[in-house]
Amino acid sequence: MNEKLVTIINEVRANKQQPPLNDLCASSRLREDVGLESLDLAELTVRIEEKFGVDVFADGLVHTIGEIEAKIARVKA
Amino acid sequence: MSKNILVTGVSQGLGLAIAESILAAGWNVYGVSRRHSPEYAALQEKFPGRVHFHAFDLAGVDAVKEDLFGKFLPFSTPLHGYVNNAAMAYDDIVTNLDAGRLRAMYDVNVFTPMMATKYAIRHMLFNRVAGSIVHISSISVHTGYKGLAMYASTKGALEAFSKNTAREWGERGVRSNCLVAGFMETAMSGKLTEEQRQRIYNRTALKQATKLGSVADTVVFLLGDGAASVTGQNIFVDSGTI
Repeated sequence: MNEKLVTIINEVRANKQQPPLNDLCASSRLREDVGLESLDLAELTVRIEEKFGVDVFADGLVHTIGEIEAKIARVKA
Repeated sequence: MSKNILVTGVSQGLGLAIAESILAAGWNVYGVSRRHSPEYAALQEKFPGRVHFHAFDLAGVDAVKEDLFGKFLPFSTPLHGYVNNAAMAYDDIVTNLDAGRLRAMYDVNVFTPMMATKYAIRHMLFNRVAGSIVHISSISVHTGYKGLAMYASTKGALEAFSKNTAREWGERGVRSNCLVAGFMETAMSGKLTEEQRQRIYNRTALKQATKLGSVADTVVFLLGDGAASVTGQNIFVDSGTI
């Protein structure tokens, strides 16, 4: 797992008074498993863009952490 | 606490008056306009370090992210308010409607402000700021005037956008309101004849033009903490249209 991404996800959760998750994996679903709603996903997008320079939701919906990691990797490559 | 406020159309008229009122409140202005003006430069001289300027043409819908926010308002500058003031008026009777001119007006009055709202809210989310958005609308949306159907339709679009923005982002503390301005003595209404002016003013309780300072000070109220519970509203500052 990308540690920076985990930190960002837990930052968004903390803002909702939710405890950090330590068992995230590529198949974790953002809504069902991570517990993020649409406005949380907007905040997540902004924080990811600031850190990695990619707007992960710009070209369609993203459902899992693995899909975010793939988009980040594509920009880095 | 000081605030950083993005204001469009700051070089003259209402935008300049809004910048002055924001500075009088002790906040900082991040002003954009196509051109710099001597009047805005005078404000920069009077309030060193608090009045910023970036040349930006609101016709550039696709430049909002990279240019307006990327170059002028990076995340390191917390944004507390956005005043969508700049607009253009394409006035004509409906039977003369030209699609190209209509599109150009929608770019400036609606599409670029909507994109700027997108990035302003993203900015507020990043810095966890309970920001305030104020769109300048027009009394023409609510009364109707000959020749203003196209212009009024752009402002009506903003009123609907503002109401729904308020509903969507309220839980994050972001507020959105419209200031519905009456006819002011600005360049935009400069083409009216004296007779047309009087007829319009006679349709108001105060029988006079809407004062720029009154509009500007109400914008500052909507931006400030005194309006913390005001959102999704259309606030009329129009000499009391009857």
